[in-house]
Amino acid sequence: MPGEVTNPASGGRQPPGPGTSPLTRAARPELSAPLMPYRQLLPSADAHAPRVEPRPGYDEATEPGGTPRPHWVKLFDSLKQLGPTELARRWREAKDLIRANGVTYNVYGDPHGIARPWQLDPIPLVITSADAAILERGLVQRARLLELLLADLYGPQRLLAEGLLPPELVFPNPGFLRAMHGVSVPAGRYLHLYGANLGRGNDGQWRVIGDRTQAPSGAGYALENRIVMTRTLPEAFRECRVQRLARFFQSFKETLRDLAPRNKDNPRIVLLTPGPYNETYFEHAYLARYLGYTLAEGGDLTVRDNRVFLKVLGGLQPVDVIFRRLDDDFCDPLELRPDSFLGVPGLVNCVRRGTVTVANALGTGVIETPAMLAFLPKLCRSLLGEDLLLDSAPTWWCGDPISLRYVVDHFDELVLKPVFPASRMEPEFPAELPAERRAELLAKLKARPRDFVAQGRMELSSTPVMNDGQLVRRKLVVRSYLAADTGGGFAFMPGGMTRVSATSDALVVSMQCGGGSKDTWVLADAAVSEFSLLPAGGLRVPITRSGGDLPSRAADNLFWLGRYVERAEGLTRLLRGIVVRIGERSGIGDSPELPALLFALKTQADAQATGPDAVDDPFARVLPAVFDLENRNSLASVVRSVRHVASVVRDLISLDMWRVVTMLGDWANEPADRDGGTPTPAEVLDVLNRNVITLVAFGGLAAESMTRGEGWRFLDMGRKLERAVHTINLLRATLVTPAPQEGPVLDAVLEIIDSRMTYRRRYLSSLRAEAVLDLVVEDETNPRSLAAQLADLADDVDHLPRSSESGRSPEQRFALAALGSVRFAEPEKLAMVDNSTRPALKELLDHVGNWMPVLSDAITQQYLSHLQVSRHLATPEPLRRTGAETVGDGL
Amino acid sequence: MDSALHRKGAEYIDPMTRYAITHVTTYSYTEPVSLCQNVAHLFIRPSAHQRAESSELVIAPEPAFLEVRPDYFGNPTHFFTIQEPHRELKVTARHRVTVLPSLPPADNNPWEGVRDRLPRHTAPAWLDAYQFTFDSRYATTEPRYAAYAAESFTPNRPIIDAAAELVARIHREFVYDPRATTVSTPVSEVFEKRRGVCQDFAHFLLACLRSLGLAARYVSGYLSTLPPPGRPRVVGADATHAWVSLFCGDAGWVDFDPTNDQIPTDRHVLLAWGRDYEDVSPLKGVILGGGQHTVTVSVDVRAETSPG
Repeated sequence: MPGEVTNPASGGRQPPGPGTSPLTRAARPELSAPLMPYRQLLPSADAHAPRVEPRPGYDEATEPGGTPRPHWVKLFDSLKQLGPTELARRWREAKDLIRANGVTYNVYGDPHGIARPWQLDPIPLVITSADAAILERGLVQRARLLELLLADLYGPQRLLAEGLLPPELVFPNPGFLRAMHGVSVPAGRYLHLYGANLGRGNDGQWRVIGDRTQAPSGAGYALENRIVMTRTLPEAFRECRVQRLARFFQSFKETLRDLAPRNKDNPRIVLLTPGPYNETYFEHAYLARYLGYTLAEGGDLTVRDNRVFLKVLGGLQPVDVIFRRLDDDFCDPLELRPDSFLGVPGLVNCVRRGTVTVANALGTGVIETPAMLAFLPKLCRSLLGEDLLLDSAPTWWCGDPISLRYVVDHFDELVLKPVFPASRMEPEFPAELPAERRAELLAKLKARPRDFVAQGRMELSSTPVMNDGQLVRRKLVVRSYLAADTGGGFAFMPGGMTRVSATSDALVVSMQCGGGSKDTWVLADAAVSEFSLLPAGGLRVPITRSGGDLPSRAADNLFWLGRYVERAEGLTRLLRGIVVRIGERSGIGDSPELPALLFALKTQADAQATGPDAVDDPFARVLPAVFDLENRNSLASVVRSVRHVASVVRDLISLDMWRVVTMLGDWANEPADRDGGTPTPAEVLDVLNRNVITLVAFGGLAAESMTRGEGWRFLDMGRKLERAVHTINLLRATLVTPAPQEGPVLDAVLEIIDSRMTYRRRYLSSLRAEAVLDLVVEDETNPRSLAAQLADLADDVDHLPRSSESGRSPEQRFALAALGSVRFAEPEKLAMVDNSTRPALKELLDHVGNWMPVLSDAITQQYLSHLQVSRHLATPEPLRRTGAETVGDGL
Repeated sequence: MDSALHRKGAEYIDPMTRYAITHVTTYSYTEPVSLCQNVAHLFIRPSAHQRAESSELVIAPEPAFLEVRPDYFGNPTHFFTIQEPHRELKVTARHRVTVLPSLPPADNNPWEGVRDRLPRHTAPAWLDAYQFTFDSRYATTEPRYAAYAAESFTPNRPIIDAAAELVARIHREFVYDPRATTVSTPVSEVFEKRRGVCQDFAHFLLACLRSLGLAARYVSGYLSTLPPPGRPRVVGADATHAWVSLFCGDAGWVDFDPTNDQIPTDRHVLLAWGRDYEDVSPLKGVILGGGQHTVTVSVDVRAETSPG
């Protein structure tokens, strides 16, 4: 379900305000009374700042008269003290921080691809401790009720037999996992993390709009929002005495540790993610790092002997607890949904046998149907003997004839939702539909009433949101969280994920629909605990140097990150060598080395630089090699690959490395003909120069800031292998068939291999092929030479984990063979020309060039081979694949 | 997959029939498989009409782990895992089963009564039946299936009579054609092409009955075939079969075989039931490795002459 539904402002749709369109900035309507409150709250940078805002019922920040509510006063005072200019400055910094940290939320179908920056508003939502206490009591009761409900549905099903819950909500419910029936979960805990979407109505009461029970998202974003806000508004945060979030996560961690079937002292816990294409992948990586869990995709896990194992380079490591962000039915292709391999085949049987704890328990999605809200009051009395403390939004399940009659009679006052979120039907507002579609919907409802749920259109409260330096009203929904505690109860998160609507009259509050988010400040009655989960908090940590086991998939991705980064650097240096020559000289006659370089470019970037005629307009050949995203070997494409692979391993590389990667991509997404004009050679040169520096920064960070663990080895092997390939290709294209005037070509080769300074120091200006070849091929003290790459590769390969008794492994032998042939060669022989080619050089380059893919395959075979994908056996696999898409939980 | 009987069940009925069944499934791989996890519905489900005197499942290579327990629908289910590299998997099920002829129930009330009571009745048998009224992956309900079925399900008609006529119409109007469909063909295509095999006819019959609001389940099992007159029995030429069981209210569940236009008596041997094929496929599994693979299935259902 994509989001929470709101009521459009009763006054109907308003024209967009100055924040939404620059066109309306000129026209300034009279300042109207409803806006007054927000204007008094914060001095605007723009003295006029007029804005007509629809005035919905309850405003979080202001009393109906317009004065700030008491618990907001400190925040607004603090903002006033900062002043608009300072606030704007800090907010720019915060946005840079969000971007640099790579906080993203993937919007399906977004042209920006998989990295949309997270939308955070600088004004937090402030909640009193009294309000929070009401929510806490209500939600804890609700979660207790939901756990009892789950225990019954996956056990005796007394509620169905006694008619307390219609079987129509269970039997056809795709969230009801028959494979989990009769399976007991550790300590009877189903909901290790529970999320509830809350809205506040006109009467000031909070109501639950929906329950998120299988894999609620957003708790990690709440944490990230908090970290950004404490940096942006530290004074306000201190003065308002805001409750901290760390204890909540600590409680969650303790519970998962406590529920591990074995190794309770130090269980291995993984966070199971659907992968980087999921809308909340950033959060998965972020939470994994914060909680100290290994981030794993289904393919990283395997089942042997009815236990779940993590595939690491050294072998298989048993897993005790899986904190999953994968929807229920995707978790096991063997026993659950067969058409997705995002999960772990055999997982259900491990759960059944109690060898692994899955949080939340498999099958918890069954109660996410909004229809459940209609039955909770009755169920609460029956199961807990209590009245439900926290109301839900008024809800009717249309399968009940009396409810159906009501819904048909009040059709235009309601929102219609599918009974099971998996059906992907969007919520429909009959009142907003054209007559024809409204009639269609009514007919559909009457034909299959049990497929629909109706909810009253709740008038959601509003709160100030910063929009172009001004405060505007937006509607809000808060997602609150509970974590199971070790005493059988629940801990309440004093905070939450507040989402605001994209416009003041939006029908749906949803991140998928372009809304924004806010930090949620729950005020403390007493002094605030300074407890923190971050290392400075004095947490005692056992000294270790291993840093956890590297999942094989992560090693594979680091290897490819190394290869792409180096490919980008090699290509950038070659392109720069070409563009410099185009820019400096007028014609081809001035640059006799250009044909050789264009030929090298052709071999590396598929550029259409064929033969001498291409030389007529070399720059026209260079442009696509830089910018053309259609060409997968262009620089822009390679840079995009770097960013993609880096985003997949972002939990393994440092924040600085990630920032460098972010900088790297900046220009690649812009079309080549920005502002309608083709870039000039000087502009392209500028891009290439910046690119070289950024790539060098990445290499520097890799060399200076990464521990020499397995991860670094794979990254380094990728870089060295790629650099060796690049050097071989460059020398093949330029020096195997010597140009008539070779001096400029030799000079260009030295420049592209970044060895010109060394050469000049050694040989002054005398350019000789044998001396150049010695420096760029043979000299192991030159970190750019071919021999140096091969020596490093051999060293990396030696350090990979392997059983010590066995002799040299294939990858060790291949690395030594390549290195040996380079060491054996003599520079003078390599430089010898026979029949206008250099046969010895050609032979060496071909020979070493052939070893590279063999070596790469051997490494894959040895360390990454269990990355094989699972498949179904043939005949009993009756389904067509529908792709690996999950239904999100509608953050 | 299965062959039609030549005549409708008027043959001499033995009071008790014994079958010796051998069902072999073999997977051959071009590359070694390093891990193979399976779920099998290959054991005889005991019922009022049949009893397995002996049953065994032989798996080669020997699984590292094997467990049998009932699934959600009460079918005996085997879970097994092979963890050693192998290029062939062979699963052999052997059963000796005694089957009693079933008699059509005397109670045969109007179908609407069953339909109307299903959503409201919370007695265990009715609640259990109710789950088989809903859509499942392979048997989705549609108004056009209800319309097709309504020609037989006329007002106040006794439910067994109506179902028997619907089954006869499907048998008459649909062509048995193993090349027309695959295991993944949706029921809508079966309906449009009017072609398929036993599994397709069973799914279509389920879709019709459920579209009317009735409860019907998919039954997987074996069928003892008779050789053509004058020809010897060919060992291994039989097949797994599929038919449908309809909930007829107080009369209980009554089986219908749309492929053969029959109410099964003593030539059908029940393996397992569920909402559709997906719940009870005889053998499913997930493998790691294997390259290309081929599967061969051979089923032999041999009637043993009963003493006396």
